[in-house]
Amino acid sequence: MSGSMQDKIAQLENYIMKKCLWQFHSRTWDRKRQNERILGMTRQLLLGEPVSTETPEERCYWVDAVTMAEAFKVRCPWLADMSREEIAGLMDGLYERIDFLTVTGSLNQELNDQHY
Amino acid sequence: MSCEVKEKERVGCINPIFTCQPCGAQFASIGIKECIGIVHGGQGCVMFVRLLISQHFKESFELASSSVHEDGAVFGACSRVEEAVDVLLMRYPDVKVVPIISTCSTEVIGDDIDGVVTKLYAELLPTKYPGREVHLIPIHTPSFVGSMITGYDLAVKEFVAHFAERTEPSDKINLITGWVNPGDVTHLKHLLAEMDVDATVLFEIESFDSPLMPSGNHVSHGDTTIADLRGTADAKGTIALNRYEGGKAARYLESEFGVPAVVGPSPIGIRNTDTFLHNLKVMTGKPIPESLVRERGIAIDALTDLVHMFLADKRVAIYGAPDLVIGLAEYCLDLEMRPKLLLLGDDNVNYVNDPRVRALQENVDYDMEIVTNADLWELGDRIQNRGLELDLILGHSKGRFIAIDNNIPMLRVGFPTYDRAGLYRHPVMGYAGAIWLAEQMANTLFADMEYKHNKEWVLNVW
Amino acid sequence: MPYHEFKCSRCIPERKQHAVFKGKGETITDALPLGYLNTIPGSISERGCAYCGAKHVIGTPMKDVIHLSHGPIGCTYDTWQTKRYISDNDNFQIKYTFATDMKEKHIVFGAEKQLKQCIVEAFKACPHIKRMSIYQTCASALIGDDIEAIAQEVMDEMPDVDIFVCNSPGFGGPSQSGGHHKINIAWINQKVGTVEPDLLSDYVINYVGEYNIQGDQEVMIDFFNRMGVQVLATFTGNGRYDDLRAMHKAHLNVLECARSAEYICNELRKRYGTPRLDIDGFGFEPLGSSLRKVGLFFGIEDRAQAIIDEETARWKPELDWYKARLTGRKVCLWPGGSKLWHWAHVIHDEMGMDVVSVYTKFGHQGDMEKGISRCEEGALAIDDPNELEGLEAMETLTPDIIFTGKRPGEVAKKIRVPYLNAHAYHNGPWKGWEGWVRFARDIYNAVYSPIHRLALLDIGKDEIPTDKGFETQRMLSDADLPDEVRNDPVLREYTGKYNCLKDLRKKTYPPFERNVLAEAV
Repeated sequence: MSGSMQDKIAQLENYIMKKCLWQFHSRTWDRKRQNERILGMTRQLLLGEPVSTETPEERCYWVDAVTMAEAFKVRCPWLADMSREEIAGLMDGLYERIDFLTVTGSLNQELNDQHY
Repeated sequence: MSCEVKEKERVGCINPIFTCQPCGAQFASIGIKECIGIVHGGQGCVMFVRLLISQHFKESFELASSSVHEDGAVFGACSRVEEAVDVLLMRYPDVKVVPIISTCSTEVIGDDIDGVVTKLYAELLPTKYPGREVHLIPIHTPSFVGSMITGYDLAVKEFVAHFAERTEPSDKINLITGWVNPGDVTHLKHLLAEMDVDATVLFEIESFDSPLMPSGNHVSHGDTTIADLRGTADAKGTIALNRYEGGKAARYLESEFGVPAVVGPSPIGIRNTDTFLHNLKVMTGKPIPESLVRERGIAIDALTDLVHMFLADKRVAIYGAPDLVIGLAEYCLDLEMRPKLLLLGDDNVNYVNDPRVRALQENVDYDMEIVTNADLWELGDRIQNRGLELDLILGHSKGRFIAIDNNIPMLRVGFPTYDRAGLYRHPVMGYAGAIWLAEQMANTLFADMEYKHNKEWVLNVW
Repeated sequence: MPYHEFKCSRCIPERKQHAVFKGKGETITDALPLGYLNTIPGSISERGCAYCGAKHVIGTPMKDVIHLSHGPIGCTYDTWQTKRYISDNDNFQIKYTFATDMKEKHIVFGAEKQLKQCIVEAFKACPHIKRMSIYQTCASALIGDDIEAIAQEVMDEMPDVDIFVCNSPGFGGPSQSGGHHKINIAWINQKVGTVEPDLLSDYVINYVGEYNIQGDQEVMIDFFNRMGVQVLATFTGNGRYDDLRAMHKAHLNVLECARSAEYICNELRKRYGTPRLDIDGFGFEPLGSSLRKVGLFFGIEDRAQAIIDEETARWKPELDWYKARLTGRKVCLWPGGSKLWHWAHVIHDEMGMDVVSVYTKFGHQGDMEKGISRCEEGALAIDDPNELEGLEAMETLTPDIIFTGKRPGEVAKKIRVPYLNAHAYHNGPWKGWEGWVRFARDIYNAVYSPIHRLALLDIGKDEIPTDKGFETQRMLSDADLPDEVRNDPVLREYTGKYNCLKDLRKKTYPPFERNVLAEAV
């Protein structure tokens, strides 16, 4: 019913690409940071690990992360049946995929422009 | 008790009455069949003019840009014109006439559009488009000179000068309408037909009011042909209805080809229409037919119902194109109204010497102001701060908030009139225009009386 | 073949890199239109200039400001009264526009003296306005007038006034987008940090990239007020000049139109550490999620949820009434820059419409990445479209409706495609829950217009139906609807007022809470 790991990643990817905007900041360094921080926090949240929200910056990342973690749980009931290791693997795969879509595989020629 | 002509005192402009020269050249160019103009400058110079024209007509017209960007502004952008002409010709196989319309930026950087045109005639056209009839016409319209009015006047002259060619004298006359609406052209052509006068109308813009057809794409454009423009040199005479919008072309034909020119007056109101018919009669030898006597009679009849009862002594401010404003002022006087303020929106120094303006100065027996180089602040400020009392405003849509905020009824007239439906369909010229104007002014006043409960009961027994 | 070649553009082969079909299973890494490149001259592109991007799009929505353009008259006239960015101070910024009216002598001898006189005159003419933005144009840029120096001179002589200078001539960049960038950077460089605001709430945001088209900003401010969130400044719709000078003091920048205003958010993040939160203000679910994110940031997400619950209960039956009737209708979503991604997914999700094409006049590749990601498969994405390509696309895609600008809308009309104004809206506001229903209502009225149906009839060729004296939108939209949908007791048509802002502007709110969290954030 839930399919392979690839299918699962695709479901999460679909949510991000359709519903989110945070992954589309306009420069490579910015996208990398956004992906790392927000997906990293989402991973922590899904694993039940503590997340630091002390600085405004962290809090802003957390806002997107927590929204996404909640949405994943609602949309992907199979998440509840996954082990911590599986979730970690899933999120690592998702992170890799989003990085590919928005950074390493991106055809956006402005990404490496020095100026905003 | 006098009519004073003065220039706006402030050096800047608050709420301009006109846009700049390239707009006028663009408006002229859309009147020509198989013509797409290329505006040499930034993209806004085209994008906004297309928007403005589409706001007025609720139609889209084709105009291109050479899209000058930073590098062009620094190093010269003539190559952009070359590319633009080529791209345009490749993709629009029917296009024959391509005016190259300059703007402030490309005039300041000194792009030689005449040189580009010479080069294109020598290189691109014979090699890539052999056998194709293409006319490239440089039109210099720096935005820091004149206004949309002078831009139009100049462009008409440039088109005529490019094409006009003496062959055999014809029986036709040239009728240069000036910046008018399709409704005006329809009515003017009706007057010509009644007079049995064959005329080349510059420009044939009736089709600006184009249909939404069940099949096929109908792009709005004018219908004046290259042959029409060529033939202007063979005409037995030219009548330019508007002194400042087409007068230059009429005088050019006169000096260059000996085509006699009659410039003005704008046939707004009964009297100026009479003069127009008189000019037609003199130029062609054709009599004024009974049908027009009757048409005039219908107009006079309609006006008689309105003038001394409703229109008399109504105080009016008028702004917009100079020929329109002056023509409307003259007509208002015939209607017993009192034009109090005329705003002419550019710095043309000839306005003070316009015989019509002189006549106003000599004959008006109440306080009237004519402000040249005016902006709309001149109107708002007089109403709000200097005690100008008005019963009616005549002008285009850009002044709408003055009327709205000061509770003064306003009849939209001129260009653009985007905040009222379908006005381009109605004439202000000729007898039909005289009826339309007077009745619309009256109805505007009537509606205002009702909204304000100001003697609205008067109309019970009219 | 993901890249799409228009027949009309075969002779300009570089155009092929600017249009992409979203193929099955394909992503933005398979094909992405080129973007924000110099326009092909003579292609009849729809792009504007960098002056208008700065002055008209971003500058002028500021409401308590004299907007003065330094140049010939046309730039000023042309960008006046062509948009619907209203304000709650009687639309001063719509009603008044100022130009230095540069003439030939100024081109030759310089126009700095003229500029100074105009500044003084303008302040004198409007004694209640003490703030001014001056916009450079092509002409004043090329003659090299030092506008900053003149502005400073006036500010030194008139201590009660403040002047902002934006140097963004029309030729600066491929499109209006160049001007967005320039004015963002000019504003943060010159003005941010020069006013220290009163912080009234523990929860203070800037609302950035929102231009109050038909009252959108006021709708959103209502939500923020109801949450107890103080909107320190709106960049720039219905915004006050001095509030925008205090942007550095907000706790969070909430960014709506990233295309036009991400730059200032990025700079605020870099210089002042204020985080940037990108949101969607259109559509029930995206808007709710956006408010919830703002709530989460401050730990008051329950307040957002209360609004979501209330508004959804009030408006969902009306949105769904339209969704039932718009499902499967094809739309070309052809706006300027940001709405292609703000709307692409949500008109599909919440109104059931199929987005068959997106385009952007002035956007960058980043906008296309967002837009294409949010489209369904099969959509055609076009960068910097031109007149012939637009016609060709409409002829092949046969949309039921097109969302675009006023003038391209007239082109669509002629090939019998109804249009809604994507920039200025038809009967907005379109933000907020009610606004989204208004949008759906406007789409419905356009798609099911009886006149539109009559436009399709060729009385010269077709059988003329003579059995009806009239048709209604409802007769057309419900003809093929199942009975249970047609008679659904829950669903209903829009029940709001023509002018929904009137009541909004009368609303009062409890005072903000201050220091509840003891400077927690």
